[in-house]
Amino acid sequence: MPKAVSVDYQSKVTKPTDFAAFWQGAWRQAEAIPLAPELVPDRLRSSDDIEVFQVFYESLDRVRIAAWYCRPVRRAERSPALLFLPGYQMDPPIPKEWARKGYLTLSVAPRGKLRSMQQFNPGYPNLLTHNIIDRQTYAYRGFYVDVWRGIDFLLSRPEVDPTRIGVTGTSQGGGLTICTAAMRPEVRAAAAGAPYLCGMMDAIELTHTYPYQEINDYLRLHPEQRALVQETLAYFDGLNFADQITCPTIVNIGLQDNVCPPETGYALFNKISATDKRLYTYDGHGHDAGRYQHSAIVDQFFAHHLLS
Amino acid sequence: MHTTPAAFEQYWQQTLDDLACYAARPEIELLPLRSTDFATLYGVRLTSLGPYRLYGYLSLPTGRGPFPAIYYAPKYQSVLEIIPQGTANLQRSAYITFALAGRGQRGSDSPYAAMFPGLLTAGIDDAESYIFRGLAADSVRGLEFLLTRPELDPARLVVVGNDLALITAALHPGVTQVVTTPALFYRTVEVAPKTLAYPLEEINDYLRAFPEKAATVHQTLAYFDLVALAPRVTASTLLLAGPPGSALDAQALAPLVTALTGSVTVHASEQSSYKDGLYTEQWIARQCGIADVQRILPEHWREERI
Repeated sequence: MPKAVSVDYQSKVTKPTDFAAFWQGAWRQAEAIPLAPELVPDRLRSSDDIEVFQVFYESLDRVRIAAWYCRPVRRAERSPALLFLPGYQMDPPIPKEWARKGYLTLSVAPRGKLRSMQQFNPGYPNLLTHNIIDRQTYAYRGFYVDVWRGIDFLLSRPEVDPTRIGVTGTSQGGGLTICTAAMRPEVRAAAAGAPYLCGMMDAIELTHTYPYQEINDYLRLHPEQRALVQETLAYFDGLNFADQITCPTIVNIGLQDNVCPPETGYALFNKISATDKRLYTYDGHGHDAGRYQHSAIVDQFFAHHLLS
Repeated sequence: MHTTPAAFEQYWQQTLDDLACYAARPEIELLPLRSTDFATLYGVRLTSLGPYRLYGYLSLPTGRGPFPAIYYAPKYQSVLEIIPQGTANLQRSAYITFALAGRGQRGSDSPYAAMFPGLLTAGIDDAESYIFRGLAADSVRGLEFLLTRPELDPARLVVVGNDLALITAALHPGVTQVVTTPALFYRTVEVAPKTLAYPLEEINDYLRAFPEKAATVHQTLAYFDLVALAPRVTASTLLLAGPPGSALDAQALAPLVTALTGSVTVHASEQSSYKDGLYTEQWIARQCGIADVQRILPEHWREERI
């Protein structure tokens, strides 16, 4: 077996003093833009038990964001809801599986993803380093806000119980889960798997696999920009959002994760402020982070916090 | 249920003949951003059946070849990766790698942009116009391009992917090894109704919406059935089966193993991307005569971190 990773890994990531102000500014800009949600029934994808909708809403820079929304046909007047967040290269799925478990579920395609790429499309690879030397125009500034606006969509739905909203995803979806739980107090439970976008400047030294390799590629060609890259990423690093999380949170990592180094998972977990938090580590697992075993734990976690 | 269409051979021969009508006319462009001291990356454009212009990433190791090659056949996702997510970038120092976007995927998404879900049933009610006929041709065209590279050792050409990897090996004798994870075309008519998960759920969605088209859909899928294509495969095959008890586990795939004519190794998923991934990397390295596989593994998979 490979060597064990350090559980008390010390991240080099530091939090900018104006971190909160930066995101308040972005959020203020977003709030000035009406959500303008649109719900289009998708009959092809709907079935007797699940209604499927294509959703569109407005986000930062007036980028129109697409999403899938699934709801159980048989449901209470007010039901719990989940925000499902996609991996870096994943095409956002139709979250029927979560709807079958009783959750109104929104699966967001942030800008640049399939169906949300007409106005913004840096591509894959490239998204991770798009405008990486300028935090005000870095790709993930809008991308994060797109995700957070998904909560606003859920809150706009009369069938959603606003006191029972959860967020989940793995890999990039795990990283997005972290920043969403931090920025949206409406989130009551968060389950993050193999979180990406956490300890980014650590990760590019710990691993040389894509997608983090995109940053190494950029720095190899533009070594003079290292300080600016580091400065920008600090505003987007999950480690710097973690101390704002107060809702119950679970994190799972694979100890042989070849995409998101487990060291960064430990560093993240140590920074999460929530008192009700738990880390699940899976030895013998890579970027799957023990998904096959862990999915039952996630089900139980959300059932406890949202369904009951 | 498993009747092979009478025109099966003709269908595929016609597909290859139609493809042969179009010259590939490759354009190759250096991509400095993704080039390193151990490998150089190029963007490649090729013409395929249609005519349709495709895009791919070709990585050539530094040094004197010939080198073994890994051909990443088009995946079932919109994104085209240089090498699969989580693969050590150093893999590119030991192998030529070529990853192709089939029609509809990013890079090859003009004029046709595929939807996911959606691609699996695009044109499925007519075998002639079914999108996967074009995708199979695309994948063969990518292989043909790779075979023209002077840096390649043609005795060590591994195709990696899902069903399209096996289909490519069935349609072209240039493949020496194939790593395949069936997901789309293994007895689809039987397997799809047993799952609610995409991508096979696309078939269920489609037949629920258009039940009157079931016969033609089944007919189209019969041309792509892996068991019917398997006897044409002469490459050594690593068949990555699902975990025991899953719809595509080793037991379910037994007829496919029997139908393959070359040597076959079956690996049942251990439900760990690390264990399954490590097994695959080691199998490919063994097949290609690469002794020092540790050097080209991701850091967290190595016995000794470098």
